[in-house]
Amino acid sequence: MVNHSTRMRGSASFFQNAGALCRGDKRLLTFWIREGRRDSIPVCMVLITLGCGIYGSVIGFRQGPEMACYVALKLPAIIFLTLCVNGLLNGLLGLVLGSEIGLRQSLRFLLTGYAIMSVILGALSPVILFLNLNMPGPSADGALVGHAATLLLHTAVIALAGILAHIRLLSCVREFAATRRAGTHTFMAWLLGNLFVGAQISWNLRPFFVSPGLDVEFLRPDPFNGNFYEAAFRAMQNLSFF
Amino acid sequence: MTHEQTAQKPSDPLALRQGNGSNPVKGYEPLEGGCNLPNLIGALLKKPLAIIHDLEAQKNPGKIITCLILISVACLSAFGFVVGTFSWNAQLWAAPLKIVLGLFFSGLICLPSLYIFSCLGGVHARFQTIAGLLCSLVALSGLLFIGFTPVVWLFSVSSTSVSFLGVLLILLWGICVVFGCVLALRAGRALGMTNPIHIILWCLVFLIVTLQMTTTLRPIVGADAKLFHFEEKKFFLRHWGEQVMHDLRPGTFNRDPSN
Repeated sequence: MVNHSTRMRGSASFFQNAGALCRGDKRLLTFWIREGRRDSIPVCMVLITLGCGIYGSVIGFRQGPEMACYVALKLPAIIFLTLCVNGLLNGLLGLVLGSEIGLRQSLRFLLTGYAIMSVILGALSPVILFLNLNMPGPSADGALVGHAATLLLHTAVIALAGILAHIRLLSCVREFAATRRAGTHTFMAWLLGNLFVGAQISWNLRPFFVSPGLDVEFLRPDPFNGNFYEAAFRAMQNLSFF
Repeated sequence: MTHEQTAQKPSDPLALRQGNGSNPVKGYEPLEGGCNLPNLIGALLKKPLAIIHDLEAQKNPGKIITCLILISVACLSAFGFVVGTFSWNAQLWAAPLKIVLGLFFSGLICLPSLYIFSCLGGVHARFQTIAGLLCSLVALSGLLFIGFTPVVWLFSVSSTSVSFLGVLLILLWGICVVFGCVLALRAGRALGMTNPIHIILWCLVFLIVTLQMTTTLRPIVGADAKLFHFEEKKFFLRHWGEQVMHDLRPGTFNRDPSN
């Protein structure tokens, strides 16, 4: 036990940290969050970059290696930009909601949560790549069906990884917060804020899936012209709901 | 209530003022670390009732209120500037000015009613304490607005619809007011409040006044040839309704509400 703990605190490898994160190892999280270990942030950032990067390359691979590289860069960027935009707010919400989780601790918690999600996504990448390879390509017959199926598949996989990671994170936040109730409120506030901003940042960084007939490119020519919610509303208007 | 129970009532502020009572409301204790800006910012977020305690105990009330006003002005100005980046030009200075002045005018006209409604709710506090409570509410909202600033900036540079940004800002204001009202209720409880309904009612009044202020001082979001529209009087629901209906028409998303 002592050896295991010492090893974890000292020179734990990424694989050991990734495994401990997925188990929700309380000693590791206590060590990272309560004792404010600085090395927790680079570990989480590397795990996010690797996990989301690999999964991003799988998403883009359907459109060729160029798009695979673009999405491999953009998927981790969504997470980091969301945390940058919401970082201060998350810290303030943690304090105001009475959980006594401040700015740095909230950043560590959320990075840890996203690192768990990234590890899950990275681990599922080979399976998803196999499924992708069995779907009609962008220039083949039935490209529209293939595009729709890919879109649904990736949405489901990302949602699954997000839910699993956040369930793990919720139990940790509840444990570290001043009260369980305050922990739950803080977690829900973080989740709502990150979903709201994350959707917009992913819209700004589009394309990821490249609809049939559109060009492969890193960013659309007008990334800041309009927002995700306006686009969703226009889509509903086009469906004649309004 | 028996005489014994009355004597033991722990949150009697009169007894607290005389130093012979212990308040059971968590956080209602002397402010630690002195009365300075960084400490007050920390206290607003972590232990806001400590500020109310010091105000009621007459420990530097003037300095505390001045600091709270400074925090509010700084935070709201920064937030207003980011709101102004939606339209740039004159709105860069007009939006922060309108937000700061609008909120302070709203606070000023709501202060007497807060004092009266607090008294109706059973609160025993000095007028100065209630004024400090209102300043704390505005300062806390301002601090939360600072947290929302990056989010507003993101949508300000991306959105093309005035209505979208307007609705987003009102939602954020609603969230901030809820936190402020929770503070007012907690402070009321610490100061001997017997019935929360009066403070809840006042919170609704304050919210409506601030929402009406957004229409009175329009345009705060979006460019316009005129800086104010005082001559055209409108209720905020009608103004927003017209604006949203205008944007709902296909192909009308743009940054200029006059188009």
